Amino acid sequence: MSIWARIAGWAALIFGLLYFFVPLGGLFEFSMKARRGVYSFDAYASVFSDPQFQQTFGYSVIMALVTIVIGILIVVPTAYWVRLKMPWARPYVEFLTLMPLVIPAIVIVFGYIRLYNTSSWLPLTGSVMGTNVLLAFGYTILALPYMYRAVDTGLRTVDVATLTEAAQSLGAGWATILGRVILPNVIPAVLSGAFLTFAIVIGEFTLAALLDRPAFGPYLQRVGANKAYEPFALSVIAFGITWGCLALIQLVSRFSKSAPRKA
Amino acid sequence: MSFLTLTSIQKSFGPVQVVKDFNMDIEKGEFVSFLGPSGCGKTTILRMIAGFETPTGGNIEIGGKSQQNLKPNQRNIGMVFQAYALFPNMNVADNVAFGLKIAGMPKAQIDARVKEMLGLIHLGHLADRFPYQMSGGQQQRVALARALAPKPQVLLLDEPLSALDAKIRVSLREEIRMIQQQLGITTVFVTHDQEEALSISDRIVVMNAGRADQIGTPFEIYNKPATRFVASFVGTLNLIEAKVVDPASNRISIGDQGITLREPLGSVKAGDTVSLALRPEAGSIAEGAKGDTALTGEVVSSNFLGSVIRTRMKVGNAVISFDMFNAPGLTPPAVGETVTLRFTASDLLIIRE
Repeated sequence: MSIWARIAGWAALIFGLLYFFVPLGGLFEFSMKARRGVYSFDAYASVFSDPQFQQTFGYSVIMALVTIVIGILIVVPTAYWVRLKMPWARPYVEFLTLMPLVIPAIVIVFGYIRLYNTSSWLPLTGSVMGTNVLLAFGYTILALPYMYRAVDTGLRTVDVATLTEAAQSLGAGWATILGRVILPNVIPAVLSGAFLTFAIVIGEFTLAALLDRPAFGPYLQRVGANKAYEPFALSVIAFGITWGCLALIQLVSRFSKSAPRKA
Repeated sequence: MSFLTLTSIQKSFGPVQVVKDFNMDIEKGEFVSFLGPSGCGKTTILRMIAGFETPTGGNIEIGGKSQQNLKPNQRNIGMVFQAYALFPNMNVADNVAFGLKIAGMPKAQIDARVKEMLGLIHLGHLADRFPYQMSGGQQQRVALARALAPKPQVLLLDEPLSALDAKIRVSLREEIRMIQQQLGITTVFVTHDQEEALSISDRIVVMNAGRADQIGTPFEIYNKPATRFVASFVGTLNLIEAKVVDPASNRISIGDQGITLREPLGSVKAGDTVSLALRPEAGSIAEGAKGDTALTGEVVSSNFLGSVIRTRMKVGNAVISFDMFNAPGLTPPAVGETVTLRFTASDLLIIRE
């Protein structure tokens, strides 16, 4: 590689990093200016002491965990079955799982409200629990492209057909095969999907706002509309959560590459 | 009475019929090998016995009980796969214990059985290892122990040695045979390696294009091949086209040299062509070699193969190979030299199909 090509490469990298980090730096710097004339963490203290922050963040964390569980229960058996018995259906299933990237969340939520309103055959929006269930399933749909891809990639590294047949010949039924043979071998992939799901759910606004649930996304929007420095502090916190999830994905995938294939 | 019965088994994948009217009775404790080239249907039959494939027609019975409506996990059949198929998330002991846990055996009994099985394969000291920490041969032995642990009624081995290197393959096949005899378990072994099949089987089924071309003991399969396919697939064999001279006296000619066969020629007439088979080790060119029949020809090549020297000689239009055991001081015949191959007429087999 010539010296000029190398310089051009470095220049492009530095430009990209500046393009990304300068606004973030500005964001962080502004979030520290709540106290006149000095840098402080006042905006962060204000955010963390706000009971609504704790309440909405806690709610979103619980919803994220529920979404992850639903996602695993739906995606792992589906991806497994498609790989095992219906390989011809893989392109169609992949296309289906990509739909949430094409159909806006607002279309999904209006569809839900229309289908499950209080005068429908399944009036889920008529109760708090019903709406929570609806929201969790909505989140599951939004996270589907990421969860499916992660699990499917994990299954590609395992000889699903032979392991299944080996377990069957030893007397195992489908639930045992999935729970004790397949799932433990795709745990790193499932965790990757889970962290992505977590990051999506924590910042999601549309579904939660239109279903009127006290989630972190609508709280971010409310604070952004009414306060000066706190929204910037919250943005930094939201970035931190997302990056934390990405770091955990990296950690898990590195762990799965270097460590014994226990999981 | 046979223990494993396959009656009129057929299997089609779409328009392709891969198994055609297959029938076989296997005795309890017998070791049967299915031998044949890729795509001959041998693995499909094994998978139908295991329940992984459903026969298009026919019936499979084990111990007098039809397996027709039983799922693979209800058949109590142990299976060892070419790719080992050990569960990567479990250590050796957990792999072996898997089937026992599924069967709901008490923990103390599971521990004892796992210990017994690992002792059987001489890997008791590796109970805590994970599959990735073991060699291919060790993994396949664990797979064997895992398959045997729940005391299956039939053991199926699907090319279990194919992924191993030559030395391990030989030692492991002997170990498999020893364990099989020790436990007296009915075993079906699928392989495309004739040496494997010949060395460890009670009986061999030579499969060709979805059918059993011949079922017999290794000795019968090797020495009395029933079809041209069996003759050419099992071992090295000279297939010689000969002309019938006098059917009444079983007289034929190869090139311009006449031979009288022991086996009756059957319904052929003078001038017809018959196919004969002769093993390379059946004849000798040594001085004073025994044999009531002789063919003289010109040496066209001589190849040193280690323990034997394989020489090819031309007799009329036929090229016949014969083997000489390597020995100190042995001089292989030179190319162009004229030699006389002596053998017993009964070693010449008529190939009728």
